[in-house]
Amino acid sequence: MRLEKCYFCSSTVYPGHGIQFVRNDCKIFRFCRSKCHKAFQKKRNPRKARWTKAFRKAAGKDLAVDPSFEFEKRRNVPVKYNRELWTTTVRAMQRISEIKNKRQNQFILNRLKKGKELRKEADVREVQKNIHLIKSPAARSTQLEKRLVEVIREEDDAKMEDDL
Amino acid sequence: MGRLARKRKHKGDKPMKEKYRTKRKTKDIDEVHNDMKPDNAQNLLKQDIDFDRPGFGQFYCIHCAKYFISEPAIKEHFKGKPHKKRIKALKVEPYTQAEAERAAGMGSYVAPKPVEVSTQPLSTGMDLET
Repeated sequence: MRLEKCYFCSSTVYPGHGIQFVRNDCKIFRFCRSKCHKAFQKKRNPRKARWTKAFRKAAGKDLAVDPSFEFEKRRNVPVKYNRELWTTTVRAMQRISEIKNKRQNQFILNRLKKGKELRKEADVREVQKNIHLIKSPAARSTQLEKRLVEVIREEDDAKMEDDL
Repeated sequence: MGRLARKRKHKGDKPMKEKYRTKRKTKDIDEVHNDMKPDNAQNLLKQDIDFDRPGFGQFYCIHCAKYFISEPAIKEHFKGKPHKKRIKALKVEPYTQAEAERAAGMGSYVAPKPVEVSTQPLSTGMDLET
């Protein structure tokens, strides 16, 4: 039994699901559900429909290039049953999918970091631009105020001495 | 209407259904890419006179996979937006099942290659007059 991939959205087509279209040049198109079949009928481009795997990989939304993708393949040579090989393969599959998931999640996290930085920058810029809303431009800094007060006091003292 | 299901959902949907019937199927973009190969293109551009085809099959636009009735008609088509859109769409390698499988995690992503496309030269109309 072979689990095929949907032509449009690249999801797995399980037995008994979806529909298959054979074009008059013998090319087979498998679809996982009517959504994908309809999109194909309407001649939509899977690279441009934002919900397909093909779009997400082409647009850099998902991890696209990685050695962990080299394990799953269409192998057209049947393998003779061997208990040892079977057990090791099953174990390897679990481990591989674990690593793959980790890498894919990390990729998305790294991708989202950029937005975080940009948002922070925009916030800082906004505060700098609209600072007059929180603080009046006429208001002096406390240090300057202190110095001014001292100068005035000194002047007053000098005046008083002159008067005396 | 909210969550209420609408009755008679299939009333008046005949035109759309008819449009997407397999019998009305027009060529897909990867078939056009195949047609654009020099050998196939030659056959399509220089067709024998066929009285069942529009313009006797003498004015065929390869990229849009369409027959036209006369030279002015096809010239007008070349100037139009649908044709230009089609040319633009043809400028990348067609999507394949292999690409779908790569996107599903069977192999790494390979960027589609650009393809050189330009509107066919107009010399088809000459045969009809001679």
